[in-house]
Amino acid sequence: MVGKDCVAIACDLRLGLQALTVSNNFPKVFQYGDNVFLGLTGLATDVSTVSDLFRYKVNMYRLREERAIAPSTFANLVSSSLYERRFGPYFVSPVVAGLDPKTGAPFICGFDSIGCIDFAKDFIVSGTASEQLFGMCESLWEPNLGPEDLFETISQALLSAVDRDALSGWGAHVYVIEKNKVTKRLLKGRQD
Amino acid sequence: MKELYLCWSFDAHWRCLELEAQRQLDYSKASQPRIPPIPHSKFSPNRPPLVSKVSLRAASNHLSFITILTLSATNGIVLATEKKSSSPLTDPASLSKISLITPNIGMVYAGMGPDYRVLVDKARKVSHTNYKRVYNEYPPTRILVQDVARVMQEATQSGGVRPYGVSLLIAGWDEGILPDEQAAVEGETTEGEKKPTGKTGGILKGGPMLYQVDPSGAYYPWKATAIGKSATSAKTFLEKRYTEGLELEDAVHIALLTLKETIEGEMNGQTIEIGIVGPPADHLLGVEGVEGATGPRFRKLTPQEIEDYLTNM
Amino acid sequence: MAIAADTRATSGPIVADKNCEKLHYISPQIWCAGAGTAADTEFTTALISSQLELHSLSTGRKPRVVTCMTLLKQHLFRYQGHIGAYLVVAGVDPTGTHLFTVHAHGSTDKLPYVTMGSGSLAAMSVFESQWKPNCTKEDAMNLCSLAIQAGIFNDLGSGSNVDMAVITADKTTLHRGFVKPNERSQKLKNYKFKRGTTAVLNEKIITKDDIGKYVSVHELEATGEERMDIDP
Repeated sequence: MVGKDCVAIACDLRLGLQALTVSNNFPKVFQYGDNVFLGLTGLATDVSTVSDLFRYKVNMYRLREERAIAPSTFANLVSSSLYERRFGPYFVSPVVAGLDPKTGAPFICGFDSIGCIDFAKDFIVSGTASEQLFGMCESLWEPNLGPEDLFETISQALLSAVDRDALSGWGAHVYVIEKNKVTKRLLKGRQD
Repeated sequence: MKELYLCWSFDAHWRCLELEAQRQLDYSKASQPRIPPIPHSKFSPNRPPLVSKVSLRAASNHLSFITILTLSATNGIVLATEKKSSSPLTDPASLSKISLITPNIGMVYAGMGPDYRVLVDKARKVSHTNYKRVYNEYPPTRILVQDVARVMQEATQSGGVRPYGVSLLIAGWDEGILPDEQAAVEGETTEGEKKPTGKTGGILKGGPMLYQVDPSGAYYPWKATAIGKSATSAKTFLEKRYTEGLELEDAVHIALLTLKETIEGEMNGQTIEIGIVGPPADHLLGVEGVEGATGPRFRKLTPQEIEDYLTNM
Repeated sequence: MAIAADTRATSGPIVADKNCEKLHYISPQIWCAGAGTAADTEFTTALISSQLELHSLSTGRKPRVVTCMTLLKQHLFRYQGHIGAYLVVAGVDPTGTHLFTVHAHGSTDKLPYVTMGSGSLAAMSVFESQWKPNCTKEDAMNLCSLAIQAGIFNDLGSGSNVDMAVITADKTTLHRGFVKPNERSQKLKNYKFKRGTTAVLNEKIITKDDIGKYVSVHELEATGEERMDIDP
């Protein structure tokens, strides 16, 4: 979710096997630099594989170019990496959030499993509760939210949406990314 | 046959190292006699060393026929070269030594023309396959230089091929990733109180970048340099003329003065070639209304533009 | 030459993107409008754009629309329709103005006016009733806009805005959001929550100075009574 000079990215913590909950501490948001974040929903094994793959690719980028990767560059890397598996995709729907290191402008985008980028100016949703999240975000989001307000908005949107999705929930992680700091919060959510 | 193959490639490798050292020495020597071309059909197992020797001698000696120099300013880079044709019957317009690789990077050579053409094609190709098709942006100068240098190094170590007989100068502009204010502040500390907005290069700050790549695959960053004939005297001249905080226009002027010192014959729009890395040339973009699109920073000056600079000297 | 598209991207019945870009850059004076699998249109056009750029640099000529169309159809035919890209190719080159459609299986058409995608029938109905040969730039832009709007309002797979690219012999002008007939009206009130609405179990602030080095893992532990136990 985009705010004023800040972005937020959040995820629930459930790992499930159909209706069986396997873990309630399975974060789906990963950090790849000072202010580059990747959210991954979908098949858990691919979430792990893909997050590790991008850790490798981003580290290689940093070593080769002696600089941190920008969110927009990272988004294109994610896109081309997913499309490489066009006919045998990773079953994930990634979300990238970050601030442009040069201008400080918020950057968010989402992908389908084969790497088509969805650039949005407001919010990106993904996962089993995406339909609920679309509804929540479409009504709660507004432009130019400050970091504190953005946190409340994204948290309430997420909590409300996952409460109407049997497959999501069990607490949540919320990151609010600002120019010089990142705030990570653990939310209290329903445990059913 | 197998032994022969190994012997040949080892020899190429060894020769390369030896002649790379030799090449450095050759800079200070007067131009050496031209090596007669060897027909490919004459290649025989008895003379493998000659093949590699020729290629590398060519790399070192054929440099003696042209002067290429570059000069980097705070806001750009100039590549200047003499277009020497062996006969008055050639069409000078069809001769081109400076090439665009990516919209922000240009390249020029000293050495063997055919090898250069192959390298230009490879440089353009790797800039797409290794970078643009992955990150959807063009490579920074150093990354491209490394890719080209890798191609050249592999030719020194692979069997069945000879090294590329060229030295390259690669000039480009990098966008940098530091916030603009921060880049400006750091520019100030390194340059004193001159030009607070001046970008002085570096992959974080962005700005003009200039590299030389040798046949061995070694590459060096420069503020100003020359390769080819009378490179030594041209470099001495540049050392005297180069100052920090140079503007692009001054750089073009100095480049032309340096070229004038080192080449014989007339200088005009037909006989010299100039490429510049400067401000984005949005008129060359061909599209408008596309968000974030900027024109190419690298472009070659037209004969008319060169004439204009020459008359102002 | 005018080429236009709407800006809706869907996944099933869900509108995935309300303002996507369906006009793809191939070269300054060749543009593609894409329908079908979004990722395929994006990557196929990007690949052909890259190939054409290299080709154009090595030949020293401007790329031709037929070259672009041929590269596209050969690429798509090789994949036997599994790459779901349905494209309109339009452009101006030294040989004139050209307009093609390329289907995912590799077939192509060359026509004076073409439509593609789910809104193609609605758009074609406009062209069939109003198109005239040798129309002016303004007429062409207006007709394209009407055709796309027919799709936006009558086809559920199309929606939001009209994007348009006008290609002439000298340059291309992209009109992103040429018509925006579906702007969302501003909310009269807001749903801002009072600060502190959300119950937080733990908070960790990482400042940029702290990061310094690359850090990717931070464990958050709930403390005290609020602690969420995993298995004992």
